[in-house]
Amino acid sequence: MAEPFLEIGTTISIQKTELDHLITRLAHMGYQVVGPRVKDHTLVHAPLKAAAQLPLGFSSHQEPGKFTLLKGNHNNYFEITTGPQSWKQYFFPPKSEMMKFQKVGGDHSTWQVTDAAQDAPRYAMLGVRPCDLAAIEIQDKVFMRDEWCDPLYRSRRENAFIVTVNCNEPCGTCFCASMGTGPKATAGFDLSLTELENNFLVEIGSEAGRMALSDETIAWQPASAFLLNAAKKELDAAIQKMGRQLPDPAALVDQLLGNLDHPRWAEVAGRCLSCASCTQVCPTCFCWDVTDVTLLPMDTITRVRQWDSCFNPDYSYVAHGNTRPSTRSRYRQWLTHKFASWYGQFGSSGCVGCGRCITWCPAGIDHVEEITAIRATAVRGANGKEGANS
Amino acid sequence: MNQKELMSTLQTIPWFQEISPTHFEKIAGIAGLVEVDAKQELFREGDPEDYLYIVIQGRIAIEMFVPGRGRVRIYTAEPMDVVGWSSVIPVVRQRTAGAVAVLPSTLVRLDALGLRQIGEEDCALGYIVMRRMANVVASRLLTTRLQLLDMFSHPSDGEGIYG
Amino acid sequence: MTLPTPTQTTTCHSQHPMTPLWAELVDVQAEAPGVSTYWLKFKDAGIRESYSFEPGQFNILSVPGYGEAAISISSDMTSPERIGHTIRLAGNVTNAIARLNPNDTLGVRGPFGSSWPIKACKGKDIYMAAGGIGLPPLRPVIYHIMQNRSDFGEVVVLYGARTPADLQFTAEYDSWRAAGIKVLVTVDRADESWDGTVGVVPLLFYHLRMNPLNSVAFTCGPEIMMRFVVYEALARRLPEENIFVSFERNMKCGFGSCGHCQLGPYFVCKDGPVFTYQQLQPYFNVENF
Repeated sequence: MAEPFLEIGTTISIQKTELDHLITRLAHMGYQVVGPRVKDHTLVHAPLKAAAQLPLGFSSHQEPGKFTLLKGNHNNYFEITTGPQSWKQYFFPPKSEMMKFQKVGGDHSTWQVTDAAQDAPRYAMLGVRPCDLAAIEIQDKVFMRDEWCDPLYRSRRENAFIVTVNCNEPCGTCFCASMGTGPKATAGFDLSLTELENNFLVEIGSEAGRMALSDETIAWQPASAFLLNAAKKELDAAIQKMGRQLPDPAALVDQLLGNLDHPRWAEVAGRCLSCASCTQVCPTCFCWDVTDVTLLPMDTITRVRQWDSCFNPDYSYVAHGNTRPSTRSRYRQWLTHKFASWYGQFGSSGCVGCGRCITWCPAGIDHVEEITAIRATAVRGANGKEGANS
Repeated sequence: MNQKELMSTLQTIPWFQEISPTHFEKIAGIAGLVEVDAKQELFREGDPEDYLYIVIQGRIAIEMFVPGRGRVRIYTAEPMDVVGWSSVIPVVRQRTAGAVAVLPSTLVRLDALGLRQIGEEDCALGYIVMRRMANVVASRLLTTRLQLLDMFSHPSDGEGIYG
Repeated sequence: MTLPTPTQTTTCHSQHPMTPLWAELVDVQAEAPGVSTYWLKFKDAGIRESYSFEPGQFNILSVPGYGEAAISISSDMTSPERIGHTIRLAGNVTNAIARLNPNDTLGVRGPFGSSWPIKACKGKDIYMAAGGIGLPPLRPVIYHIMQNRSDFGEVVVLYGARTPADLQFTAEYDSWRAAGIKVLVTVDRADESWDGTVGVVPLLFYHLRMNPLNSVAFTCGPEIMMRFVVYEALARRLPEENIFVSFERNMKCGFGSCGHCQLGPYFVCKDGPVFTYQQLQPYFNVENF
């Protein structure tokens, strides 16, 4: 019989106990393995040394404004899907140094600029959900463009190893199926896992993925038809279990941008706290601010980049005032950017359907419900024409 | 005043070019040409409303007196602009502001009472005149609003939260 | 007549768009109360030689320790060895620039943004309506027209400011007129010295007889003024794609990355600041968008 061998595009299966060996193997390959861990009654992304640190047996109940961690009897590592953190903090850190200015010379001094030291960590991300992978690919278009490329983002992105995990149990607020981003990852990963009762199916997505498995410490078999079938059943069931639907997302471009005076905006603004939680947990939000940080002598200045949010009151401040002084205008900006304007800017929706903005909104606003209400009764279409109804 | 000069001057006014010869003659009958020097007063606030003026050439300032501030220049009428529109509007009883020439100017002067009478008798002409006055007042209102909004004001002027 | 929709024409000259190039302050010209033109010269001879910009573009000036500010370039495109930025004092950064001494150093990133398509307007009648600090971004266009006067038909500058003291570049109006450009000036509020027009910029259109098929309008100034200028241009039947406006939003990065300047699908720093009215029409009258 021909020796089975690993090939990009094929799916193999491993016993669940092999997960530990995979983590060790990735660490030996020079990666910092990071993945989901339970902490503070929720799920965070943190360094992983062993499979035992993963959220084995956990799941969550999620609804607008509520996240409840549940411990069950099952032996699934990845039944619990997302927490408040996405993976964007690894490629686009909340705070990073851009460059340093050092004053040189006396009178009429000039400045010496040193770019920030690139630490370029190599992350192996274990447990990236298909929606989050789609979000990474959306942010790739934001931070790595033809005209320019963010050096920090690129170096971390090029060095990253991505292990996606397909979702069998949507979390309750998710709607990835509507957005076309899940519950199964189709491309863009190094390895993709589907969790079954005693096994993981592992789809090999790249040469790096193939290399990771090509180690004597990892025992694998070709995926049997039985297991492949079981996986397909789980996937089909997962699609049916989505907490929300958002049909025809592309139609939202006209439906939202043509409805900028809809009364629903004011209604939501009565509940929205403009707290910026949604933008923090969102895996695609990319706004950032830049500040010069210095001590009093002002001869060494660090230019720092940090996350910003369109909900911040002075986000839209200009010399003659604030162009978005009200919560209504800021909420409308966020929602129309994410679901409509993004198409014009980057060729796709900005939303991947992960549901975090719904779960983690302290006011319990269900943004899918808000969008559905606005599109249902179009007040005025773009260019003053009659609004388009879905 | 030279009748020929008056006629040819009237014909340069755009809205006069659009009225019928009969109407033109009626208006010409109550029209005159007047020349003023710079700083010469046309009328004062409170004066009776005797004439409607159309600036042909030069510049006429509209001013209002404010105690403590003196005469405040709030508007200038340029060539083809109207001065003293209130003389044709029934509800306004007297001049609402003063008018003084800034530059040496030539104006067409229409007898206001005569114009109102013509309008009563010949409603078609009256409508044309009122329509023109409505445009003038609309334009003044818009200008006044934009001036009132102080659209060039800047937070660094000391107003607002950024001052 | 189809004019190109404005797009960014030049990328910045430094290796990464967030890294400033260094320039020396060579001159400061007072223009009006609180407004001066700061003339900069790049320190590096190579940059001095290669730097170029299109009219309507802006640089982001950087005073390390204080921050950065986006300022339109107001000087002649054909003389880029000295670049003028007309700045109104408004906050920390602009005040820090005002405290600089001659030969002090500041950072320059740019040029960024889309530009007034004057070079594509040969044979057209050009109407530039500006208010207050909106004239500086149009001055490079005026210079281009003066250098190529026979390329254009009727050219009119319609300009206004709050008071006579706030009028920019008053010493230059006669040279513009001498070059065959009509310059109509108005103020909102006169003072005793003023014998000119008192009124608002949109009203200046009433002095003109425009051929809508051959006219192009550029406008820059307070948004409310630009709105009414656009209405006057539309009332005179100018096509929406031949009316150009320059918008201002909060700008940090200058190249469409940080998100602050967004207006619907547009990044004002990158897709603007110069837009056609046609591009902005769906959002023009939406308050606080």
